[in-house]
Amino acid sequence: MSTLDALQTVLADEHAALYTYGVLGARTSQTATPALYAALTAGYRRHRARRDQLRILVEAAGAEPAAAAPAYELDGRLLRPPQLQAAALTIEAESAQSLLALVAQSSGDVREWALTEATWSASWQLELGGSAQTWPGAPELD
Amino acid sequence: MGSALAAPLVLSACDIDPPAREVEPQGSTATPEPPEDAAVVAAVVASLARAISVLEAASLSVPTLGQRLEPVGAAHAAHLEVLAGAVPDADLPTPAPPTVAPRILRALNAVRRSETRLLREVRDGCLDASSGDLARVLASIAASTAQHTAALSTEVT
Repeated sequence: MSTLDALQTVLADEHAALYTYGVLGARTSQTATPALYAALTAGYRRHRARRDQLRILVEAAGAEPAAAAPAYELDGRLLRPPQLQAAALTIEAESAQSLLALVAQSSGDVREWALTEATWSASWQLELGGSAQTWPGAPELD
Repeated sequence: MGSALAAPLVLSACDIDPPAREVEPQGSTATPEPPEDAAVVAAVVASLARAISVLEAASLSVPTLGQRLEPVGAAHAAHLEVLAGAVPDADLPTPAPPTVAPRILRALNAVRRSETRLLREVRDGCLDASSGDLARVLASIAASTAQHTAALSTEVT
């Protein structure tokens, strides 16, 4: 896999993450669960910025950025706050994994950016009810 | 634990899968430089050994912190186990035990400073690594260190 392939894969994942965050946020009450609402809002903004940066990086590599799908299938019917929080936690765990693959396939500024984003996704899992792990983003090492 | 990656690190000192340098246009045929990662691994191993010594010193100085620091200590021990095989035994560091004040807040601050320094050093190693596989392992260690540091910062003292 080339750096460009890895960038496109992460971009495709980010389209799905952004869609899912949007759905989760729309199903969250700012009044009833303000902490969850704030965590989802911050996550949505981070992933939106990440998607935009990935588009720039792909274009800089001379390719057409992968497009988002019209919609993405969510696992189950997510309505209760614990379900919404768990879904966001899954997004961040998968994002860390995807970004670590980009770290492996890149160097220089792209690797540094992917490392920073992977670290953020790992740390943000704690805001979403997750716990610190030994090998975030690399579960096969556990 | 860690056998999937420990083996290639041990066998070839990171002679694995070097990524292309920077983002290359499609069709580029640039040849990557030969990987020279032994120094990177040795530096991160030394950093982990130092961080573990701080954790141990903090637990000895303030025994009530032991349970709280155990998860990060266990994580770093696992990190060290994966990387140490790539370093000759003679080069494995044995840092002098640091002095940590026997007061809970000072000990916790010493640990946080140590973990922050470790995170910076592991990041540097990740960015310097020629091997993509090694960079990925170091990125995961950095992410783990960031998680544990955040957990220590948010827990009630």
